Amino acid sequence: MQIRVVMMGRHYHELEGLPEFLDLSEPASVDDAIDRLTERLPPGSHFPGSCLVAVSGKHVGTVASHSSVSLVDGDELMLLAPVAGG
Amino acid sequence: MSLSSDEQKRYARQLGPGVLSEQGQLDLGRSTALVTRVGGMGGPAALMLTMAGIGRVIIAHGGELISPDLNRQVLGCEAGIGQPRAPHFAQYLRSVNGFVEVEHVDHEPADSEALDLARRSSIVLSCPPTFEERLRLNRAAAIAGVPLIDAAQWGMTGTLMVIRAGETACLQCVYPQAPPFEEFFPVVGAISSAIGSLAALEAIKILSGTGRPLLGKMLTYDGHQGRVTTLSLTRRDDCPCCAEM
Repeated sequence: MQIRVVMMGRHYHELEGLPEFLDLSEPASVDDAIDRLTERLPPGSHFPGSCLVAVSGKHVGTVASHSSVSLVDGDELMLLAPVAGG
Repeated sequence: MSLSSDEQKRYARQLGPGVLSEQGQLDLGRSTALVTRVGGMGGPAALMLTMAGIGRVIIAHGGELISPDLNRQVLGCEAGIGQPRAPHFAQYLRSVNGFVEVEHVDHEPADSEALDLARRSSIVLSCPPTFEERLRLNRAAAIAGVPLIDAAQWGMTGTLMVIRAGETACLQCVYPQAPPFEEFFPVVGAISSAIGSLAALEAIKILSGTGRPLLGKMLTYDGHQGRVTTLSLTRRDDCPCCAEM
């Protein structure tokens, strides 16, 4: 299956090399997708635990703490690094 | 009670079908908004609320205006550099709309003062540059029983949340711990004004009973990639701020 990946928020420019679409073997979870994306980050890098996670428009928690969600073909996975600028 | 002829004239372009009813304008005029801080987003938010005819706006912001503020600060100007921000901005807001009471607080309120200010307000607009301050305002609004609008930005992106603790996810449901955030973040003033103006629009809708507020949702605007998304936010059963509400 294939999902769409959306990165947003703080330091978004550092993630421009990540793919817009990600192929995953079924069944796949949010954690599987995050693991696959982490493999594409520079060595030693990872997504901060505070990153918000949303699946097809529904917020499911943070990278560090989110509900167990199974992905289906066509889902959109959003990772949003929190912003607080005033 | 009805609008005076001067008020009807001032607000003529925002009264009518699809915008505010006369009752909505009156309700807005009886409302108070706390805006803290009044930087890149809080400035335009306070300005739009003032122009729209809110009854009273309380702005809170410490320090003095500096040159780097002026890439996004709509309430300040070069002549104001070096002046304390809050009274300078309050003076400008009073000059924009004499129907509005403008009050300023020349510092960032701590816990008890934030709660006192929230209790005097109909709504809180949270626009500070740290999560610690945002979570403090979230707690204050929750205890005071008033809605909170959280506006945030980084670079060319921004987020907006409309919260009514006890009914929707609160800010601490979304951020259980304060995430790291740098003090000197990059930002383009155009995104600040856009998100600040949208925060004001949501406040105007809630206070005037107009339209459908973004309650329980997060609007994300990725100006860098030209992408707008609306997320449904989820309450946390173990949220220390709102789980018992």
